[in-house]
Amino acid sequence: MEHIIDGFIEGIKLLLSFEGEVYSIIILSLYVSLTSTLISSLIGIPLGIFLGLKKFRFKRLLTRFLYTFMSLPPVVVGLTVAVIISRRGPLGHLRLLFTPGAMIIAQTLLVTPIITGIIFNNSKEQGEVIRQICKTLGGNRLDTLMLLIKEMRINILIGVVTGFGRAISEVGAVMIVGGNIKGHTRVMTSFIAMNNSMGNYSTSIAMGLVLLAISFMTNSILYKYIVGD
Amino acid sequence: MDINVKSLNKVYGNKAVVNIDTLTLRKGKIYGIIGPNGAGKSTLLRIMAGLEDATAGRMFYNESLLNDRILRNVTYMDQRPYLLRTSVFNNIAYPLKIRKYDKKTIENKTREIMREFKIGDLSSQLATSLSGGESQKVALARALVFEPQLLFLDEPTANIDPNSIELIEKVILKRNREKGMTPIIITHNMAQAKRLCDEVIFMDEGKIIEFGESKQVILDPQKESTRKFLSIYAM
Repeated sequence: MEHIIDGFIEGIKLLLSFEGEVYSIIILSLYVSLTSTLISSLIGIPLGIFLGLKKFRFKRLLTRFLYTFMSLPPVVVGLTVAVIISRRGPLGHLRLLFTPGAMIIAQTLLVTPIITGIIFNNSKEQGEVIRQICKTLGGNRLDTLMLLIKEMRINILIGVVTGFGRAISEVGAVMIVGGNIKGHTRVMTSFIAMNNSMGNYSTSIAMGLVLLAISFMTNSILYKYIVGD
Repeated sequence: MDINVKSLNKVYGNKAVVNIDTLTLRKGKIYGIIGPNGAGKSTLLRIMAGLEDATAGRMFYNESLLNDRILRNVTYMDQRPYLLRTSVFNNIAYPLKIRKYDKKTIENKTREIMREFKIGDLSSQLATSLSGGESQKVALARALVFEPQLLFLDEPTANIDPNSIELIEKVILKRNREKGMTPIIITHNMAQAKRLCDEVIFMDEGKIIEFGESKQVILDPQKESTRKFLSIYAM
């Protein structure tokens, strides 16, 4: 028990020491996860609304695939991306392996189905009602889309925050495609995993605290939106 | 706006829920649609409001088929209206905003209709937190603020208090008499149909069984099924 408490104390000391490496890891983690969440949101929000509202053949089959992709194992995604962007892979000439770009691609593949799935579910339930209301009040297609986004803003926020949570806490994919290279592709989760295996509990706890703080902040924003309503 | 319905048919699976040869509704009158549950009243109303497609048949609005220009002058409200997740004021102002009215006109028209419905004190309240009667008034104010020519109402006063019913009927009547708006109202309240509507349509099994002046249809129905239906309400 003592070593856990010591770990906490040392962790806080480490954070307050403003050590350069720790903060560069935090910044890289935020950069990779925020970028992948942004790209996933730009794809997933319109796609989810479209799938929720449109009636077309094979919609049920597509829905099953979407739900399957929502729970994709990160290591499988990491492995797939690594194979494609490795030197002998079809996109090897882009030299993306072991770069933050590769980590963004892997996280985008993981997060996009999550955001799409959440938006799809909500637009399936609410979308038709909102579409009809807009129509009965004289709105055109653009008015309908704008109203849908406005009315579903809390659900969209939940989707984005969930996606970001997945991205920032993910370790398997970024470890495979990023390689956990010091000063280049080392992020919070791979840093924690590495230090834990080396027995550096205090360092792991420090980074764990930062992860928790970020999670708390994102949830606080979400809570503020819901309660603020 | 006149409506002419010709050979209208709506089929779900193998069942025809609406099957009407002809129906003519004239501008400036108030119409009521009555009939048992499952008679096809709501489906007919939704088709006329452009919310559902008919399986077959045609409808003319002043001799034109339904198009975007006509849709901008038509509105529909059901008994559980969806209110936007914003203030009462923004809900009512919404149709004016999408019609690109200037700020001052939006403010004036919205305040005016809120006074008419006696909901001025609810202006900044979140619309989704209102009671049933208040929600109905806000939804109807929102539907009327842009002065539609056709107003489709599916049980607009179900489950609300008598004072609110009286107010809603008064506003509908005023809009009809002063602006020539044509309301088409589904109701299970026969007293309301008699009081408010100029003409009443009795529907059963997707068909129009009887259509005529409200007092005549309700007090002296000619068809057996109308008599049977109304006798239940008389008990």
